[in-house]
Amino acid sequence: MTVTLYSVAQSIAQAILGAIASVLPPAGRGVASAPVVTGLAVLLFAAILLVASMLNTIVLIWFERKLLGRFMDRRGAMHVGFAGILQNFADGLKLARKDTVRPREADTLGFWTGPTAYLVTSLILFGILPVSSGWNSGVLPLSLLLALAIFSFAPLFIFVSAWSSNNKYSLMGGMRSAAQMIAYEVPLLLSVVAVVLVSGSFDLTTIVEQQQNYWYGGPLLLALIVFVAAMLAEMERIPFDLPEAEAELVEGWNTEYGGMLFAFFMLSDYVRALVGSYLVVLLFLGGWTMPTWVPSTLTSFPLAGIVWFMIKTYIVFGVFVWVRAALPRVRTDQLLRVGWNRMIPLALLSVVLAAGVVYAKCLPVFGCVPGLGG
Amino acid sequence: MSEMWINMGPQHPMTHGLWNLRVKIDGELIVDADPEMGYLHRGIEKISEDRHYNEVVTLMDRCCYVAGMSWEHLYILASEQALSIAPPERAEYIRTMADEFQRLGSHLMWYAAFVQDLGLMSPFLYGMRDRDLILDLFQSFTGARMTYEYMRVGGVRNDLPPGFTDRARKVMDWLVDRFREYDALCLGSDIFRKRCDGLGVLSQAQCVELGVTGPMLRSAGSSRDLRKDRPYSAYDRLEFDVARADAGDVTARYLVRMEEMRQSVRIVRQILDWLDTHPGPVMAERVPRWLGAPYAPIGREDYLLKRRYPKGVGFSAIEEPHGEAQAYVVNEGGEHPYRVKFRSPVFANLSAAKHYLVGYHVADIPPIMGSVDICVGECDR
Repeated sequence: MTVTLYSVAQSIAQAILGAIASVLPPAGRGVASAPVVTGLAVLLFAAILLVASMLNTIVLIWFERKLLGRFMDRRGAMHVGFAGILQNFADGLKLARKDTVRPREADTLGFWTGPTAYLVTSLILFGILPVSSGWNSGVLPLSLLLALAIFSFAPLFIFVSAWSSNNKYSLMGGMRSAAQMIAYEVPLLLSVVAVVLVSGSFDLTTIVEQQQNYWYGGPLLLALIVFVAAMLAEMERIPFDLPEAEAELVEGWNTEYGGMLFAFFMLSDYVRALVGSYLVVLLFLGGWTMPTWVPSTLTSFPLAGIVWFMIKTYIVFGVFVWVRAALPRVRTDQLLRVGWNRMIPLALLSVVLAAGVVYAKCLPVFGCVPGLGG
Repeated sequence: MSEMWINMGPQHPMTHGLWNLRVKIDGELIVDADPEMGYLHRGIEKISEDRHYNEVVTLMDRCCYVAGMSWEHLYILASEQALSIAPPERAEYIRTMADEFQRLGSHLMWYAAFVQDLGLMSPFLYGMRDRDLILDLFQSFTGARMTYEYMRVGGVRNDLPPGFTDRARKVMDWLVDRFREYDALCLGSDIFRKRCDGLGVLSQAQCVELGVTGPMLRSAGSSRDLRKDRPYSAYDRLEFDVARADAGDVTARYLVRMEEMRQSVRIVRQILDWLDTHPGPVMAERVPRWLGAPYAPIGREDYLLKRRYPKGVGFSAIEEPHGEAQAYVVNEGGEHPYRVKFRSPVFANLSAAKHYLVGYHVADIPPIMGSVDICVGECDR
C-alpha cells in the first residue's frame, strides 16, 4: 500500500483522538468516531500541506537569492543560519512586526482585501497541484483547468489593490498588470491545449503518468517554449516585471503597501513562481515519474517521487533566475506586441503540431505509442 | 485616463539624486516634462569666498560625488591661472591620470545605474565591482575613496606610492576585458537594443542650442572634446581618439561612453609609462606657504595679511565625465578667492529634459534619463 499524505494525516488524527478518548469517561468515547477522525484528518492534511508548501516557498526564495548572488559575482545572504538559509525567516519576522500604513485617501476594503485575496488564491493552488502520486488533495478530473482558472484570478486582485491605494504609480502598475496578464493568458492556455490534446486528459495525475517514458517537452517543444515565456509574464518576473518596474513606477502596484501586507505580496509572488515551476514540470517534464531505467532501489524509496519532482522544479526555477540575471526589462507596448503578435500564433502552431501528433498516434523521436490521444 | 502630471522625484528610484522630474502623461505617453532642480543647493560658490584657495578643494569633492577629482582639477586650473602659478610637469601628468581614473570611475558608476534602470541586475553589480578597483587605486595614492582633497594650487599633495604603476596597469588590463563583457550583456541583447534604439534623440543642432555637452553632444555626431580642442594639463602630449557616434539616441550615448572608457585606459597606460621614467617634484617651488597650509599658522595672521598675491582672474574649462565644466576664479589679492563661479554640464543637460522626453513613453524615462548621466551634486552645487 502506498503511503499518501491523507493516510498519514488520518493515522495521526486517529492516534490523537484515540489518546483523548482513552482518558475520557465512557460517555465521551464518541470523539474517536469515524466522522470526527475524518474531519480532523482533513484539517491536519491541509495544515501539513500548507506548512510544507510555505517552507518550500521560503527555501525557494533563499535559492533565488543565492543563485542570483552567484550570477552577480557575490554570495547572497550569508549570515543568518547556515549559508543564510534562515535569512528569509528573519525578513518575515521583521515585516510582521512593522506597522502597516494605509494612505488616508485609500479605500479601506480594497486596500485590505486585495493582498489577502491574492495570497489566499495563490495558496489554494498548492491544494490542487499534485507533487507526487497520493500527495495531492484528491483526484480531480479537471485539476489542470481548475489550477489555471485560479491562477488567473491574480490580475483582478492586483488591480483592486492598485486602484484602492489611490496612488498614480500604483494605478499605472495595476493597469499594466491587467493588460499584461490578459495578453499572456491566451498563449498560456493555448500551449496547455497542446498538452491536453496529446494526453487526452485534464487530470494532472493522468498527464504526468503518461509521461513515464517520454516527456511532452520533447515532442511539444514549441508549446514548452511558449508556456515558459507566458509563465514568466504571468509571474511578473524580469524581463516581464513591468507592473512593478521599480525604475519608473517606484514599486508599481504595491507602492503603498508596507509591513505584513507587503509580505503577503512578496510571498504570493513566490508562491506563484513555485506553482509556475510546478506546472512546467507537471505538463512538460514528466512530473514525479522516474524513467524506467532508474534502479528500483531509488524509485521505491519513500518520498522518492517528491524529491525527483522538487529537483526538476528547482532546475526550472533556476532557469527563471538565470533569465532574471541576464535580461533587461521590456517595455509595455513591446510586451503586448510580442504577446498578441508572436506568442499567440506560435501557440496556435503548437496546437496544430499537437493535433498532428495525435492524428498520427506517433511522436517524433519516440515512435508510435498506443493509447496516445486518450 | 485623462492627462495628468506626475512627480518623479524628489524621492524616486529613477532620479539618482535629489531632483524632481515633473512629467505630464497621457496614458503612458509623455506630453510635457519639467525638470525641477535645486534640492541639493549648498551654496558652494558662496562658501568658497570664505575659504583659503586650497580649502576650496574640499568643497569641490562634495560638489560632485562621483567625479570629485575632475572638479578639483577644474578649480585648481582656474586658481593657478588667477594666482599665476604653474605646476611641475610630473604633477600635470599625475593630474591627468587622476582625471582619467575619475572618468573611468564615473562612467562605470553611470553604467551601473543605467543598466539598473533597464532592469539588468547583474551588470549593475559588475559595474560597481569594477568601480571599486578604481576607488582602491584612488585610495592608494590619495588616502580617500571619494573625497580626495588631493590637488593643490601649484601641484598635487603627494607623489604616487611605490609600486603604484604596476597595480594600476593590472587594473587597466582587467577593465579592458570587462568592457567586452559589458558589451556582450548590453549590445548583444535584443531587448536592450529594443529598449534603447531611437530613444531620447537630440540632434547636434539642438545640443548646441541648448548647451548640451559631453557624451550627449558627441553621441549626436559632434567631435567636440575639450581635451583635444582646448588641451589642458598633459593632454596635448598624449595620444587618444575622440569617441563619437551619430544617432544621438540612448544607444549612441552608451557607445560613446564605452569608447571613452577604452580611450581612458589607453591614456592611463601612456601616462603610467611616462611616470615610470620621469621622477621629479610634484609641487611648484614658488608657492606661498600659506597657500599650502590649510589654516593660517597661529600668531602669523598679520604676516599673512601683508603677503598679498598679485591680482588676477582665472578661467578653466575641462572635459568632465558628464560634459564641459567651466570655472571662473577672481583673485583680488586676498588669501581667499574673491569670487568663484562654476558652469555645471549636468545642469544644462538636465534642463533640456523636455526636448528629449516628449513623445516617448513613461517606461522610456529611466533609460533616457539614465543615458544623460546625472550628478545632482554638481548640478545644484
